[in-house]
Amino acid sequence: MEDTNPDVELVRLAQANDVRAFEALVVKYQRRVARHVARYLKSAADVEDAVQETFIRAYRGLAAFRGESAFYTWLYRIAANVAIRHLKRQPQHVLLGDDAPEERTDAFQPGVSDSEQPERTLIAAQIADTVQRALAKLQPDLAEALLLYEVESKPYAEIATMLGIPIGTVRTRIFRAREFIARRLEPVLGPQRNRRW
Amino acid sequence: MSQKVSELLDGQLASSEVKAALEETAADPALRDRYTIYGLIGDALRGNSTPDDAYSARILERMKREGAQIEPGFDPLRDE
Repeated sequence: MEDTNPDVELVRLAQANDVRAFEALVVKYQRRVARHVARYLKSAADVEDAVQETFIRAYRGLAAFRGESAFYTWLYRIAANVAIRHLKRQPQHVLLGDDAPEERTDAFQPGVSDSEQPERTLIAAQIADTVQRALAKLQPDLAEALLLYEVESKPYAEIATMLGIPIGTVRTRIFRAREFIARRLEPVLGPQRNRRW
Repeated sequence: MSQKVSELLDGQLASSEVKAALEETAADPALRDRYTIYGLIGDALRGNSTPDDAYSARILERMKREGAQIEPGFDPLRDE
C-alpha cells in the first residue's frame, strides 16, 4: 500500500510491458491531464490531440521514469511540455510570463469537437448534478471518508487517524460511498461497457 | 471484487495483490466499468470536466495505431 506514490506498482507492471497496467493509468488520469492541457489550448481537438500525445510520450519514455516523483507529477510535466509545443505551432500563440497557462473560465469540456460542446456540457452538468445529489443522500460517515480522500487529498492512513477508525474501515467506507454514487450515475452514463475502457 | 477495484484505483493494494486485481479487472467489462466510474466520481467531486466516454479508448487506439513501444533512452520531456 502506498499513499505518497500510489501508482508505483501499476507503473512497475507497465514498465515490464504489461499494457493493461498502462491502460489503467490512462483511464485514471485522462480527465486530469485533459484539464491540465485545456489551460493552455482552446480547441477541443487540440486538447484531445495533446492528451493523446502526452500518454504516448509517457509510454515511450516509461523506462526513464524512476519514481523520484509521483507518476502523475511526471505526467503533468509531459502534458505541459506537449501543450506548450502545440501552442507554439499555432500561428498567433501568446504565452504569458514563464509559459504560464491562463485558467479557463468558460464551460469548456475537453474531448469533444467544438460543435458537440453544448451536448457534452449538458451531460457533464448532469453527471456533476447526479454526483452531488447522491452525495447529499449518502450516509454522512461514508461521504466524509470519500470527500477527505477525493477532495481534500488526504491519504487513507491520515483519514483513519482523523476519524479514529481502522484503515480497513476507511477502505470500506470509500468503496461503499463510490458504489452508492455509481449506481445513481449509471442511468446518466448509459450502458457503455467496453467503450470507456 | 468491486472493493478491490476501488483499492486498485487508489493504490491501496499490497504490491503482491496488484497484478491479480489488474488481471481480473481488465478481463471483466463490469469491473472495468466500475474502475472508470469510480475515477469519474472523484474527478466530478474535484470539479474536473468529463470528456466523452470513448476518450480513453481513443488514446489507447492511437497508441496501438502508432505502434507505441517503451523505448529505453527516450526522454518524454525533451523535444525530438
